[in-house]
Amino acid sequence: MSIVENHPLTLPPRISEAGVGDYIALLKPRVMSLVVFTALVGLLIAPGHVHPVLAITSILCIAVGAGASGALNMWYDADIDALMSRTAKRPVPTGRVTPQEALAFGLILSFFSVTTLGTLVNWVAGGLLAFTIFFYAVIYTMWLKRWTAQNIVIGGAAGALPPVVAWAAATGSLSAEPIFLFLIIFFWTPPHFWALALFRSDDYARAGVPMLPVVAGPDATRLQILLYTVVLVAVAAAPWALGYFDAVYGVSSLLLGGWMLWLAIDVYRRREGKQAVRAARRLFAFSLLYLFALFAILLLEVVVAAALAQFA
Amino acid sequence: MDEEQPPGIVLTEAQKKKRRERSIAIALALGVLVVLFFAVTLVKGPAVLNRPM
Repeated sequence: MSIVENHPLTLPPRISEAGVGDYIALLKPRVMSLVVFTALVGLLIAPGHVHPVLAITSILCIAVGAGASGALNMWYDADIDALMSRTAKRPVPTGRVTPQEALAFGLILSFFSVTTLGTLVNWVAGGLLAFTIFFYAVIYTMWLKRWTAQNIVIGGAAGALPPVVAWAAATGSLSAEPIFLFLIIFFWTPPHFWALALFRSDDYARAGVPMLPVVAGPDATRLQILLYTVVLVAVAAAPWALGYFDAVYGVSSLLLGGWMLWLAIDVYRRREGKQAVRAARRLFAFSLLYLFALFAILLLEVVVAAALAQFA
Repeated sequence: MDEEQPPGIVLTEAQKKKRRERSIAIALALGVLVVLFFAVTLVKGPAVLNRPM
């Protein structure tokens, strides 16, 4: 007689108890809100008139595309997310949503967002959105994130593309202005995420993610943050210096950039204890405000110009 | 005499509630998609099919 009975294992099929909120969490709503905002700016500063229905369609598709990227990221990174305190409560590591459900959700939303944007608006925008999703889900999530400390530098391109997609949705083409918006977000990404990684490096080390503080140490990261911030301030002021954006934007970018630079210097100088953590947290928080404010100024200028044109 | 059929999978109240929520969300999303296509067709008119690459 065998100890192991020769009966087929009959497990009951898994019945999902995932709520709508779990699927919304897969879309990374906080990241999505920043994507929507930067895309809105890209859409509204574009020349010419965009019909409101097409504008809403474009922003909706870009938002859903960004959400799809988030779902695909959470599908692939469930093993990493389970090990990090910041991400351990996400729907896939907690088991509320299975990896297969997250994958299917991400793929379906990717398909619908790209085809809807391409069909209803234009295929330049649709193609760029497809590239953005591919870059985030495949190039960044599957390849760069686990492989190199430059993961968020190169991967930052995915987060920088939404205003370019939106500009393409409005005009059907590309020009210098959306490239500047792209560059601003691209060079903003490293100081923003490295500031976070400085006070979350234990999390990243536990999960085996080669973030810069884990691989090169906190001091090298502080130097890189400072250097990227210098480049960011210059890149943010460039469209004003080159005559693409006006003086209100230019002066604001220099003031905001000066503040950001001051905080980056503070991070560079304070290397020990609670003060170092506090400095990194301050830079992380301000970097969000910096990007929001910079884009909000561009948005306000468009709104004010439109209002003045109405009354003129 | 017929043998009594096994009950199969019986959903709990929580599972039924979540499934209903998901179904409503899918219906709403499809509704939004239909409205979107309809609205853009009205905005673009016959030009909706005229999309030079």
